[in-house]
Amino acid sequence: MMSCLEAKKPSLCHREPLTAEKVRTTLAVLKGVLTSCYGPFGRLKQLHNGVGGSVCTTSQSAVLLRNLSVTHPVLKVLIASVQNHVSCFSDCGLFTAILCCNLIENVQKTNLATATAIKLNKRLLNFCTNYLRSESCGCRIPVDFSSTQILLCLVRSVLTSKPACMLTRKEVDHISTLILRAFLFTIPESTKNPIILGKSIIISLKGPRVTDSTVLPGVLIEIPEIQLMKTLPVRKSSALKVALFSTSLSGDFSDPGEGSVVVSYRVSLENAVLDQLINLGRQLVSDHVDLVLCQKVMHPSLKRFLRTHHIIAIDRVGVTPIEPLSKATGAQPIGSLGPVSPSSYGSVKDWHSAQFGCKHFFHLIPNEAPVCTLLLCNRNDTVADELKLACQTALHVLQLTVKEPWVLLGGGCTETHLAACIRHTTHKEPGNILQGEGCTQAELQLIAEAFCSALESLAGSLEHDGGEILTDMKHGHFWSMQAGLPSVVNWPDLLSQCGCGVYSSQEELSWSVLRNTCHPFAPQTCIPHEALEINQQPARGLIVDCLTAKLSGLQVAVETANLILDLAYVIEDKN
Amino acid sequence: MACRIINKRRHVGLQQLSSFAETGRAFLGPVKSSKFITDEGCHKSVLVSSTVRLLESLDTTSAVGQLLNEAVQAQNDTYRTGATTLLFLAGAWSRAVEECLHLGVPIPIIVSVMSEGLNSCSEEVVSLQVPVHNIFDHMDSTEAVSGLETVSGSSLPQDLSEAISVPEKQDLKDDVPQLATYSLSEKPGKSPKFFKPQATVEAGKNTSQTLKNLHTDTCFRKSVLIHSRHFKRTDNNQGICTPNRFLEQCGAATFQTYGCRDLVELAVGLSHGDGSSMQLVEAAVRLQYQNACMQPGSRAAPFMFDISRLFTFCLPGLPETFSCVCPGYITLVSISSAAMIQELQNRPIRVVLIEGDLTESYRHLGFNKSTHIKTVLDGVKLQEDSSEELWANHVLQLLIKFSVNLILVEGNVSEHLIEKCRHRNQLIIGSVNGRVMQTFAEATGAVQVAYITQVNEDCVGSGVSVTFWRNPLDDLDRSNRMAILLKTEGISMITAVLTSPVRAQMQTKEDRFWTCAYRVHHALKEEKVFLGGSAVEFLCLSHLHILAEQPLQKGDHACLGRLHDTSSWLASSLASYRPTVLKCLADGWHRYLSALLCNTATYSSELEASTFVQHHVQNAVDSGCPSAYILKEYNKLNSGIFNLGISNKPEQIPRVYDVVTPKIEAWRRALDLVLLVLQTDTEIITGLGHTQINSQKLEGCLFL
Repeated sequence: MMSCLEAKKPSLCHREPLTAEKVRTTLAVLKGVLTSCYGPFGRLKQLHNGVGGSVCTTSQSAVLLRNLSVTHPVLKVLIASVQNHVSCFSDCGLFTAILCCNLIENVQKTNLATATAIKLNKRLLNFCTNYLRSESCGCRIPVDFSSTQILLCLVRSVLTSKPACMLTRKEVDHISTLILRAFLFTIPESTKNPIILGKSIIISLKGPRVTDSTVLPGVLIEIPEIQLMKTLPVRKSSALKVALFSTSLSGDFSDPGEGSVVVSYRVSLENAVLDQLINLGRQLVSDHVDLVLCQKVMHPSLKRFLRTHHIIAIDRVGVTPIEPLSKATGAQPIGSLGPVSPSSYGSVKDWHSAQFGCKHFFHLIPNEAPVCTLLLCNRNDTVADELKLACQTALHVLQLTVKEPWVLLGGGCTETHLAACIRHTTHKEPGNILQGEGCTQAELQLIAEAFCSALESLAGSLEHDGGEILTDMKHGHFWSMQAGLPSVVNWPDLLSQCGCGVYSSQEELSWSVLRNTCHPFAPQTCIPHEALEINQQPARGLIVDCLTAKLSGLQVAVETANLILDLAYVIEDKN
Repeated sequence: MACRIINKRRHVGLQQLSSFAETGRAFLGPVKSSKFITDEGCHKSVLVSSTVRLLESLDTTSAVGQLLNEAVQAQNDTYRTGATTLLFLAGAWSRAVEECLHLGVPIPIIVSVMSEGLNSCSEEVVSLQVPVHNIFDHMDSTEAVSGLETVSGSSLPQDLSEAISVPEKQDLKDDVPQLATYSLSEKPGKSPKFFKPQATVEAGKNTSQTLKNLHTDTCFRKSVLIHSRHFKRTDNNQGICTPNRFLEQCGAATFQTYGCRDLVELAVGLSHGDGSSMQLVEAAVRLQYQNACMQPGSRAAPFMFDISRLFTFCLPGLPETFSCVCPGYITLVSISSAAMIQELQNRPIRVVLIEGDLTESYRHLGFNKSTHIKTVLDGVKLQEDSSEELWANHVLQLLIKFSVNLILVEGNVSEHLIEKCRHRNQLIIGSVNGRVMQTFAEATGAVQVAYITQVNEDCVGSGVSVTFWRNPLDDLDRSNRMAILLKTEGISMITAVLTSPVRAQMQTKEDRFWTCAYRVHHALKEEKVFLGGSAVEFLCLSHLHILAEQPLQKGDHACLGRLHDTSSWLASSLASYRPTVLKCLADGWHRYLSALLCNTATYSSELEASTFVQHHVQNAVDSGCPSAYILKEYNKLNSGIFNLGISNKPEQIPRVYDVVTPKIEAWRRALDLVLLVLQTDTEIITGLGHTQINSQKLEGCLFL
């Protein structure tokens, strides 16, 4: 045998990667792609492989980032940390990514020493988190779990910020209610400590209209029609005993791996396994099991055996429903063909066969378990996937809100308000932020300006159609206006309400254009109670964001920006 | 990875969409022209005459093409009709949207207003729905007669008597004399023939002339309406009513048209120019109805046309006249089985149903064969026969044991076994459709099994009869196979035999049959149809024109459509852009109607057709109540707008109908597709190295 040896190539080392023109342009392209997706009027992206693969139309960060294959380490770092945030919190992915890009860009423009900039960024981040968590925060609303108002607003905000879901107002209302109901289904009735939330499964159904979507308690398992017709045996009035198999019952033998099995002629391994399966079936019969569910395939003979003993046998359930099924029935997934321990069995209250659209389902109704199924209908394949993801996000956001029962004002208002706060504090009480870090006030002013304009241009990214962004000088909220209007207009008539919907333009406010650097002012802290009261009318919903997700997004954005700014060398292994 | 900005100045995606849609223009309407699609690579060509087949043969690998294909496929999978409408409207609306962009309307406003406009249209067209009720009540009476005569014969007299009786019941004060004079002066003393003028062109012209003269008169408009049953139902005195009240009434969905009560009328109305396919479908419905009536307890449940029990069987080479429907299952078997069929004929035989393949090596799905198993001999004498032979003998023994003569197999069958069984008069048929298997299972009491070794007495079905479909020597095709018919007593399965002398047309014929069958299926299932002949589209067009004129109510959230964020400036400036966008949406319908008129050869040029449509829209809008205008025009045969190319003999012109939900869904899907493409600004090509995309495509790409 001959072997070929090749000398190793030396590693490549790039100094200060951010200064390279190529990195700057790719970063700008990435930022452009993400910014144009942001918000309810964001533009969509078509993702496809260029050779006839399926086309995905989306504006959600989770899908976009998953499909972007970037080459430069700087972008890789950025995408990886945003993806990590999205996998933990589902929401605010674009917020994080755009803010991070903005920060990198703005800080670079200041030409300050990186170490100082990083230090000050951290200070400002601290200031923001403290403010958002404090009682005096002016862009935070407590969530009242005794009414559905705020929760519905939260869900609606998540749904409407994904334009690729293509929902009309009526459909948004319908889906929001369903999501909230699905969420409420997952809250257990008993108040044992610790409370463990149940599961909601989302099933996408292509064909029927969105308004045909529904929530059902229990688990739906899709099965072919023909199989369903066969499985309709007797009904029992009492609870049904369930066995749940995660192993294959198809009668094949485990793979011997590298080695081989030697059997003598006239010995049939297939028959031996089948005998074992039938033995298992006998045990199930003698244990009075009523329903056998199998994740994988069941041998036809075993199926018939069970059926002749009036046991419903359903195979090819798939891996996704196994966990919810186990939760709903209390059954332990069985992983072997050996004797089944009686403790593995679970029970359900009842079952039905159901048809939605052209698909048939086996519907298991649990005794008490907090498990439900959200059936999402949609005409269009691409839109259905997008909607499913949006609903998952909304459900996740609701769960996060239970832990931290606060929501932040959305629609750009939190960002502009925060920026106003930072400006005001750096101007009036810079010591509060500096806290003896050894930086000068001038440096702080520079970085604070970079930070604030990063926040403000993030809010400005909500506008995609050439409108003008304003901020009011009292609350520091976000207002949008048609561009190119004559200067002598009555602003209160032109503007109706702020981005989040808390304040109306009729409140004797004064506005300034967001792009122009305005004189620092102290934005009003604490939202007046009346402002919220008025807006509790169903017609005027508020736009709100999940506090937990947004705080984490802010943190990830600033820290990732710091990390990228701090990169001194990129060492590339060329082998 | 590369990304391409697709809406710099002109939206590339929308342009692609409209050019794709242009290819399907010829398929719009009842007069379709086929296309030859030639593959330059292998010089093969196919004849296509439907949108679905067209898109199957086109290269739709671009992102927009894929989305279009996806939408058309989804429509076709769900409804089997409406694909052409979808394709054309997608094209027409993408042009309309381009026009909006050109006029500087912000994208979210286009999206919002267009989806609101279409919603409003879908609500408006409810007034043109025709109920389909009790269609099977007088089935027996109409059974003997078929064809077009029945249409005019059965439905008109009933309606006439009602229409004529209206004035007496209504007790109209001032209007009565006027109406009476009008109607009686036309055909004095022959009241049942009141509507007959429609049947002859000349008299029809006469009427319409009169109508046009009096058109401006509000009172007269009412008297025209009296012909509809709507006025009989309302109890309040019509008397002199103000135009406003009149508008209220026609705006609501109170417009009851006559209703469709006869299967023949329905079938002819839904045939859309394809009478021969529709006759087969109609016959199939009748067969299924008769069958259902014979079932015990059939009176309890109302009859439903079960399309899943309908199958097609194509026999190319035979003349079209051989097309027919028959109860049971028709399939081809080898000519060498003729003797066996002869033997099996005229006696009930027993059947076994096998779900998978019928071969020795077949294992059920999900069974993984392990490759690392060696079999060794330990001194035992090896039998001479191969395992295949052993297995076949075992199967034969089983079949004899349970005296089975027919095996239906969903998958493939071992040739060796077929050969062996043939000598023992045991017929094995492979590649049988799953639904056929299911029907046989129900009809014979057989239970489907995966392996033949699972068969026991409980699994065997009985009572199947087998015959030649026709004389076996008559229809031999090149492959030496002949058609046989399998059926049982009371089997609900119906096979439509489709024949065509031209092999290339076979696919088209089958597609058309299914389209007709599904139209009837949807109509019967929904118990309603639309007035067809593009009346619905015309109403949408006129309605949008009226909607565009109406000022927007302040605080009216319904008009915000998809504009969820009410705080944005877009919400406040929506009102100023709304008329423009609605007109553009209406232009889509306009294009649709013009293309339709052009295709039916009523008009030689698109421009002429367009002028004609324009004229009628103006009339409809001016009348203040488009649906009333349409109903009136609809009953006039010579008006030409709603009677397209069905027949040129006026006395044979039946009503044209359209399916409801599939149609509206096709519109929705078309608009959704256009709006989805409109909102897309960047195309991201993933997973490819830069070098693999050819340089031509790379123009205008950005890289990450």
